[in-house]
Amino acid sequence: MNKEYIVIAFTENQIGVLNRITSAYLRRKINIESLKVSESSIKGISMFVISAITTEELIDKTVKQIRNIIDVIEVKYYDAAELFTQEIALFKVSTRHLGQPGRLDALTRRWNMRVVELNAKYVVLEKTGLREEIDSLRAELESDGILESFTRSGGVVMLPDTPSNV
Amino acid sequence: MANKQRVSGSEALMLSLLAEGVDVIFGYPGGAVIPIYDTLYNYRDRINHILTRHEQGAVHAAQGYARATGKVGVCLATSGPGATNLVTGIADAMIDSTPLVCITGQVVATLLGTDAFQEADMVSITMPITKWNYQVTSASELPAAMARAFYIARSGRPGPVLIDIAKNAQTEMVDFAYKPCAGLRSFNPRPALDTAAAARAVEMINAAERPLMLVGQGVKLAGAEAEAIGLAEAANLPMATTLMGISAVPSDHPLFVGNLGMHGNLAANAMSQAADLIVAVGMRFSDRVTGAVKDYAPLAKIIHIDIDAAEQGKNLRVDLPIHADAKDALEAMMAGIGYRERPEWFALAARERQAEQGKVVANSVAPNGEYITMAGVLQQLAEVEDGNAVIVTDVGQNQMFSARYSRFRSTRSFITSGGLGTMGFGLPAAIGAKLGVPDREVVAVLGDGGIQMTIQELGTIMQNKIGVKVLVLNNSYLGMVRQWQQLFFNSRYSFTELEDPDFALVASAYRIPSERVEKLADLRGALERMASATGSYLLEIVVKGEENVFPMVPAGASLSDYLTTEP
Repeated sequence: MNKEYIVIAFTENQIGVLNRITSAYLRRKINIESLKVSESSIKGISMFVISAITTEELIDKTVKQIRNIIDVIEVKYYDAAELFTQEIALFKVSTRHLGQPGRLDALTRRWNMRVVELNAKYVVLEKTGLREEIDSLRAELESDGILESFTRSGGVVMLPDTPSNV
Repeated sequence: MANKQRVSGSEALMLSLLAEGVDVIFGYPGGAVIPIYDTLYNYRDRINHILTRHEQGAVHAAQGYARATGKVGVCLATSGPGATNLVTGIADAMIDSTPLVCITGQVVATLLGTDAFQEADMVSITMPITKWNYQVTSASELPAAMARAFYIARSGRPGPVLIDIAKNAQTEMVDFAYKPCAGLRSFNPRPALDTAAAARAVEMINAAERPLMLVGQGVKLAGAEAEAIGLAEAANLPMATTLMGISAVPSDHPLFVGNLGMHGNLAANAMSQAADLIVAVGMRFSDRVTGAVKDYAPLAKIIHIDIDAAEQGKNLRVDLPIHADAKDALEAMMAGIGYRERPEWFALAARERQAEQGKVVANSVAPNGEYITMAGVLQQLAEVEDGNAVIVTDVGQNQMFSARYSRFRSTRSFITSGGLGTMGFGLPAAIGAKLGVPDREVVAVLGDGGIQMTIQELGTIMQNKIGVKVLVLNNSYLGMVRQWQQLFFNSRYSFTELEDPDFALVASAYRIPSERVEKLADLRGALERMASATGSYLLEIVVKGEENVFPMVPAGASLSDYLTTEP
């Protein structure tokens, strides 16, 4: 059954690890939905968070092959539901479209958003939340016809347990 | 740290090779490695550089050397086309777990990414086919990179490593002091054996009525031949080998039941299908071994010992994975192992062997006197060499007949391109093997197609006086593809017929003694003359055009559904 699986890998901060990891997905033709690489809490060790929709069998085999990459220190996969995940998204809305005064206020309050830029032409709103919340907000703004552009971070993940090797 | 020497990057490379015990390398010069070759000139007395005729020849020779000796094979090529010519051999070494360090030149670091003359992005190109690769852009990185390269290539499941050295790093000076790599925190080459799992395996073996041990190349790589045979003898387990495992068990061992898979022996395959327990050691259940996975070993529980956890459960369900070095696991499993008589189980092996003799072998090797068969050649070669030769094959019918009819007394004596199936592998790999084990007889068994893919390496044999015996089985076809066309594509021989050169003339152009045999009556004498030749020798044997390798499990079929003759 296809589901969203999040792979979390800790690696040496070396050129080429990113390509080797994504090539493990490529070989099995798994499309990566989002990928984030950043410094982990330990200097010199990078943390990868990769989301993909696939089967458990395939993600299990892929993760075993990722573990064989020399610079990978630890790697595990999780059912997306197991992890505490937040995502940040930015929405650009034309000031003209916001219409009557008070609409912006109502919108930001209802969705718990923050205004990060406000000028005569447009407003940039920031929303932090679950992937599904961001999807719903995007759908609403699109159906209202007021969304000009949109960008999202991919998941920022807190692990349920601390990895043992790093 | 030891005394530091102030040397160039190229000299640091030579000193690193010497520190790793390298005494032979295979290579081909070019613009981006001229500084390395210039330094190598001073090291000719310590490093035997074999100039091949193509970089593909260099990498396959390094593979042959590694496979015959268990040491890391080293090859050297220039940037761009020199480097890309290594790609096939690197991919071959990756899938067949062969330890290699491939050194390539690269454009100077300031030109990287600019499409400079002879620039190819080798780190990216070889990423999926190397165990590890690294680009050296300054001489100071070179000693540590080489130490890592050798450590990674030979440790754990071996594999190829590529080190790409920018030209400026070859000429820059560096304070050199070699420090071998003792380990990496991200790489555990010898996983701790789960002793409870080993004990469970022993219980399963002791309880089994019809167990079968599958011996893969991992047994050779772990140097665990004696342990595998010891365990089999202690428990009275029949043993079968994969293509890559051939020669790990002596052919005449009483527990040896033959080879597995598509062109394997009937006994080994029938026992896979009838076994109640399979003990797989250092093998990966390739599709050529299992046939249709859903029908494979339907009655068996499977114990899978492998150093690579990614292999366990990759192709089929495993009841007991043991993630360990084969030697560690097999040694631990000696404790508590029980001997059991298995007369009916071994009677099955005898029956199947006899059936194979009648249905396949007799027809294949005993020709009616009108023509020579490949099966007959290989069987006679086995008699002439008496199981002492290293047999290096190309790919196709020559390879499968070699696997079926060769006989071996010692390990690391069968060298073949198993996973990638690389035509052109045989001749250069035999050169490398002969350099690795110069006191042994090395015979390259090639088809008329495969030899022509790397035929230029006859020049390497000539120039370096390498005493390789070259046996060309000439059926004027790309025989294995022709066999599939005959059996599965209505005998439509689409572009598999070859018009060949006179191989004896080619050999004499290279000043290699040669002989051509067309008549069965001349075969034995010719094989004996080849075997007793002191230097290199090429023997071309004209064989029956449309000979097929049987038994054959058609691709995708169950191991139980095999052909023993044309339908």
